[in-house]
Amino acid sequence: MTAVTQHSSMQEETTLRRILRSAAFAKIIVGIVILLVWQLSMDFFAADYVARPLGIIEALPSVIEHPRFFPAIKNTLGAVCVGLVIALFFGVIVGVLMGRIKVVDRLLIFYVVGFYAMPMVAIVPVLTLWFGSGGTTRMAIILFAGFFSIVLNMSDGARATPPEFIEVARAYRAKPWHVWFGIAIPSAMPYLLAGIRLAAGRALVGAIVAEMIVGVPRSMGNFIRLEAGNLRHDEAFVAVLVLALFGVGIELLLNQSTRIFLPWYRREGRGA
Amino acid sequence: MIDMNKKWARFATYAVGLLIGAGMWQYFGARGNQLASASLTETFSRFIRLIENGELPTAVANSMQLYVAGFSAAIIAASALGLLMSRIRFLRVGIENYVMLLYATPMVAVVPFISSLLGPFFMAKFVVVFLFGFFPVLYNTLEGGRSLRPELVEVATSFRSGEMALWRDLLIPYTLPFILTGVRQGAGRALVGVVASEFLVSSSGMGGMIRYYDGNYIIEGVFATVIVLTAIGVLLMWLGRLLEDRFAAWRGLNR
Repeated sequence: MTAVTQHSSMQEETTLRRILRSAAFAKIIVGIVILLVWQLSMDFFAADYVARPLGIIEALPSVIEHPRFFPAIKNTLGAVCVGLVIALFFGVIVGVLMGRIKVVDRLLIFYVVGFYAMPMVAIVPVLTLWFGSGGTTRMAIILFAGFFSIVLNMSDGARATPPEFIEVARAYRAKPWHVWFGIAIPSAMPYLLAGIRLAAGRALVGAIVAEMIVGVPRSMGNFIRLEAGNLRHDEAFVAVLVLALFGVGIELLLNQSTRIFLPWYRREGRGA
Repeated sequence: MIDMNKKWARFATYAVGLLIGAGMWQYFGARGNQLASASLTETFSRFIRLIENGELPTAVANSMQLYVAGFSAAIIAASALGLLMSRIRFLRVGIENYVMLLYATPMVAVVPFISSLLGPFFMAKFVVVFLFGFFPVLYNTLEGGRSLRPELVEVATSFRSGEMALWRDLLIPYTLPFILTGVRQGAGRALVGVVASEFLVSSSGMGGMIRYYDGNYIIEGVFATVIVLTAIGVLLMWLGRLLEDRFAAWRGLNR
């Protein structure tokens, strides 16, 4: 009898230990601790209007009912997605040509590196003069932020096409564009994904900055700025959460597609 | 057919590329609306003037002070925190996803909070730059900690290595290349943070100059400042790459 109870309690102990050692448990505990520290430190040290977990939960219904909230999400994230697709299309073409044709590379490299390294925020004011204070300026910034990171990564990838592939293609009398679009692009997919990841992050930042500086109506940047400016931090923070989830969503999507479509690729240097 | 690999041919194509760009800038800049564009020569003469009267050097020094203060604090804090977490498995596993969340969050979104909390002062800008630089470094340090093979730690502890020695001889050298990847990623982001905070928190440095000249429709002033800013960006990118490559050999070969 004693042997049986001992045995079952031992089994319980191992399942308990397994739970305690599991990753999910660690994540939940650490998450709770972070929220607690945040809540308590704000309760004790900060003014009433500062964002804190309970306040954010309380603010959630009113934000969701806010007439400008969902249109703002749709407006901002829609523009980012459209801009990324356009940047991707042209960025891939220019990048492949730069990676495969030396003359093109030498003609453009200064501009691509320069515009890539330029903090895109800095040109928002000038773009406002050129494109007015609305969605066009924001789109210009998104394209600007996305295009050059894709070009740089794509040209790195196209340059790294294994020479054996190209030799075989040449031996079968492939035309140059067959090499560019049939071989260089697929073999550069890991670089391209790294470029897209970079471009997405930068485009999101660019879009928000443009919205904040220009004051694009019905946009997330504007929503955050207005709510935070009116000391409604809890409400504004809900919008920040949406942006964070969008950022993570893109990251997960790219990781998943690497795993599914590029099983041959081992994660090494993750592009520029 | 000309051999494009000859040295002179290479320089010729670079030169042609630059000349075409400069020509286009001059042409469109001079023909465009004077309130919204500026040509190459106008920008250049304004650039000389801004250097002579000391405005640009002062602004650069001002912005770089903010950059160095915020980003170096971010590097130190993030790498220390990341290393500590790599030693405590529970913490590392527990916090990874939250760090990823913050790494992917566009940090500009929190600028309005910071400026309304800390006011239009240096401290607010410092915090903004810090946040822009902090998460790339932390994220990459944690990735280094995750890839640290337990066998190495086992060998070290079975040779009775103390915690100090373990950090000095294993943990820090192993994670350094990862930290430097984070530093390279953060270097560009922190520069964006500098300009964003100078735009959104309070006008100062190069961001302030851009806003001032833009507001007064003196576009050559804007262009001159943006070009200096771009040169700084290229320099930082190059420095980061150099630093990363220098220690890249320290990465374990068979990961």
